[in-house]
Amino acid sequence: MTDNRHSHDAQVLEARYAMRVIGALNAQARALPADVNERLRFARERALARAREARAAAAAVPTGVNSSGAAVLGSFLPWLQRAASVLPLLLLLAGLALIQQWQARENVLAAAEFDAQLLADALPPDAYSDPGFAEFLRAPPPQP
Amino acid sequence: MATDKELADFLKSVEKRAFKRAVYAVRNDDGALDIVQDAMIKLAEKYADRPAAELPLIFQRILSNATMDWFRREKVRNAVMSSLSAVDPAEPEGDFDLLELLQGTDGSPAGESAADAVSRAQILRVIDAEVSELPTRQREAFLLRYWEEFDVAETAAVMGCSEGSVKTHCSRAVHALAKSLRAKGITP
Repeated sequence: MTDNRHSHDAQVLEARYAMRVIGALNAQARALPADVNERLRFARERALARAREARAAAAAVPTGVNSSGAAVLGSFLPWLQRAASVLPLLLLLAGLALIQQWQARENVLAAAEFDAQLLADALPPDAYSDPGFAEFLRAPPPQP
Repeated sequence: MATDKELADFLKSVEKRAFKRAVYAVRNDDGALDIVQDAMIKLAEKYADRPAAELPLIFQRILSNATMDWFRREKVRNAVMSSLSAVDPAEPEGDFDLLELLQGTDGSPAGESAADAVSRAQILRVIDAEVSELPTRQREAFLLRYWEEFDVAETAAVMGCSEGSVKTHCSRAVHALAKSLRAKGITP
């Protein structure tokens, strides 16, 4: 209890002393050289001009959406930029899919041509499964 | 959202203190003006849409960051050491002369106090110099707490430390100032 009161009293004394020091600092700050004051004023005005520009830019986008197509495009621009970045990848995948499709079609056409030749031959297809034909294939070719 | 007038009034109210805080940190008027300008512009560009009540805290954080950025830039340019060494020897020398003067007056037969012997402007300059000589964290805590009138929690938020640390820094700063100023016979 006594410690708390002592601590509180110490804090009050510290604050009181600090405020007297701050009074001196305020007096010093009020007496800044004219050129420093002028540069601070310039910096402040520059900052305020930037704030006005930022507010005008922020206000321009929503009103433009209703009034002009260009602004609509502007609002979609980030989305378009993101889409443009993945476009090459999409094109590559589409190309690979097309190549695979083309190869499958070529295989189907080659098989169809082979089947057509087989069916158009004078020899019936069942003949190829005949045991005699298998024996003919295994036999050595006749000597001339 | 802060209006243009609120933002202008806030910047006008804080600019001198901000400049002094930056000078204490970098010990260079031009550097301090650059820091304050950067902080003002950043506040205006990024946070002008915030309520006026939030501006002081945000601005002090921006100012602290801008000061750190200044030191980083100076380090890159290898100029920080030369600028500090150019300033540091001069200030203790000035303090030493003034201290000798004050001690001399203290020892005079008339028993004239230091406050009577030196002008008010000189006393203010000595107090200013003593504040600038405080360790950085103590000075930051002291100025934010008592000059910017932030409470302990707000000061802790700006400094990125605990509330206990803020209290410790403030207490040490006040005791250090009291001791050094008393040594020079000055009572603020």
